[in-house]
Amino acid sequence: MDKGLLAYLLIPLLSAVIIPFAARTRPKMADILANVTLLAGLANLLWLALRPSMIAGGFADIPGDGLSLLLVAAVYLVGLCVTFFSAYFIEEGLPNRPAYYSLLLVSVAAMTGVVTTTDFFTLYVFIEVLAVTSFALITTDDSSAGIEGALKYFFLTFPASVLIIVGIAILMMTLGSLSYENLRLFMASDAPAGPVTFASALIMLGFIVKSGVVPFHTWTPDAYQGAYAPVSAHLAGIVTKISGVYAIIKLATLLRFFDGRAQALSEMLMFLGMLSIAVGALAALKQTNFKRMLAFSSISQIGYIVLAAGLGTPLAIMGAVFHLINHATFKTVLFLNSASLEKSTGTTDMDKLGGMEHSMPWTSWTSIVALLSTAGVPPLSGFWSKLLIILALWESGLRVYAVLALLFSIVTLAYFMMMQKKVFFGKKTPASERVQEVSAPLLAPVVLMSAIIVALGLLFPYFYAYVKVVAERIIL
Amino acid sequence: MNIFSLDWYLIAIIMFVGFYCMLASRSIVRQLIGLEIISKAAMLTVISAGALSNNLIYAQALLITMIVIEVVVVATGLALLVKNFRLHGSADIWTLSSLKG
Repeated sequence: MDKGLLAYLLIPLLSAVIIPFAARTRPKMADILANVTLLAGLANLLWLALRPSMIAGGFADIPGDGLSLLLVAAVYLVGLCVTFFSAYFIEEGLPNRPAYYSLLLVSVAAMTGVVTTTDFFTLYVFIEVLAVTSFALITTDDSSAGIEGALKYFFLTFPASVLIIVGIAILMMTLGSLSYENLRLFMASDAPAGPVTFASALIMLGFIVKSGVVPFHTWTPDAYQGAYAPVSAHLAGIVTKISGVYAIIKLATLLRFFDGRAQALSEMLMFLGMLSIAVGALAALKQTNFKRMLAFSSISQIGYIVLAAGLGTPLAIMGAVFHLINHATFKTVLFLNSASLEKSTGTTDMDKLGGMEHSMPWTSWTSIVALLSTAGVPPLSGFWSKLLIILALWESGLRVYAVLALLFSIVTLAYFMMMQKKVFFGKKTPASERVQEVSAPLLAPVVLMSAIIVALGLLFPYFYAYVKVVAERIIL
Repeated sequence: MNIFSLDWYLIAIIMFVGFYCMLASRSIVRQLIGLEIISKAAMLTVISAGALSNNLIYAQALLITMIVIEVVVVATGLALLVKNFRLHGSADIWTLSSLKG
């Protein structure tokens, strides 16, 4: 456990315990406490990472490996956007308001635990805590779709925990320890790697199921579509990234994919990544529900991260980490916009919507920023991460993968343009008559995230310096 | 054949029973029971691995934590089953098909 970051785990947990008592008579206290906790944590993290002396020194004094700090900041950022959005989104009568905020804070705490831990067993514990909070959060509004999504999520990701447990058992038997450091040292030595690689492959397979990479993706669209609207932003934005993709990136660096000791596993992972880019993008083309299309787009973007993690060179890991952060920002924007649409029109069916750009200009423009970033259009942040990934692929001689990754980013642009045309441009449909823009507090998180997308794109050299420090520390 | 290979045969059989239970039944409750059986087999691997590598105390510590975690997960799963039953009045897995596309 990275002790410097322990407070970021414990304080949300404490808040989660206090909220049900504090909000017993005044339900609004729950909103205030949750927002204040996350805002204070985020301000603290920003000071830690972005104070002027740190930037001037090229981020050399970042505590720990840098990756934990970056991902904790991403968790807090998405968590804050979701709680702030929820505070104005939840209807007054919802009975379990304090429980909702408690679960969100426990989920933030569990994600902080996942990214700061240094051994596989603690990782497993926090992953399960995260899964439990997600099941409960999906069914917040007790809708039929929510319960169905949560049940599918439960049944299709529970076997992943079994794979992780068996992997942990075999790792304990062959390596004698479960810490990351021992695995790294073992893979750097000359000992035959067979059984340890097998155990790691089982653990990795568990995390592949949990992150929704293609052969195991069937739960993802159902869970995202059925979930309570702000919760789907939380799930798609950060929960599945942290509970699945983070561990894949971590294992890829620990197994030293770049020096070819686990060649077969690395190739398999890259193939699955490419497959999920292709299947996700092609399936997104023919969706009619906004949220379901975003879910398939999410599968496709996770494919890019897994592809880069499977390659495992320092440049590819930089691309994977950067794309993870970018994915958190733009997918949060798009899902929160879908929640705004649902609130003002009552539907997310793209065939029933149309011509929303005049009645909801802010939602429309932030969607354009986010979708251009997802598709990788130059000044925005998504361009740089895809560029890093494709450059890394080209540099390692995997030209076919590089070309395919480039082509499917055009397909990404195609399905997002179709979405934008159906929902925001064109003629007004009966469902979108007399629709008002949602209130300013609901727009604030979306505008903040869009600003971050633009800022990360324009200030890329600073961020590159940070990610470079991270890649150097986690690989060497 | 030593005692440990017998352990692992047993684990494989239990895991197979669990998967068979999941495949052969339509009721969500039986599916959950199947999952439980699979996860029990996985826990047996931990204790067997601990015994095999003379690390039994560590394995026991891990296992007790795993059991606690699993109880929480299964309780949440059962809560979902109950909510689903109250809403639809049936526990048939094939009725869960409103989300598709």
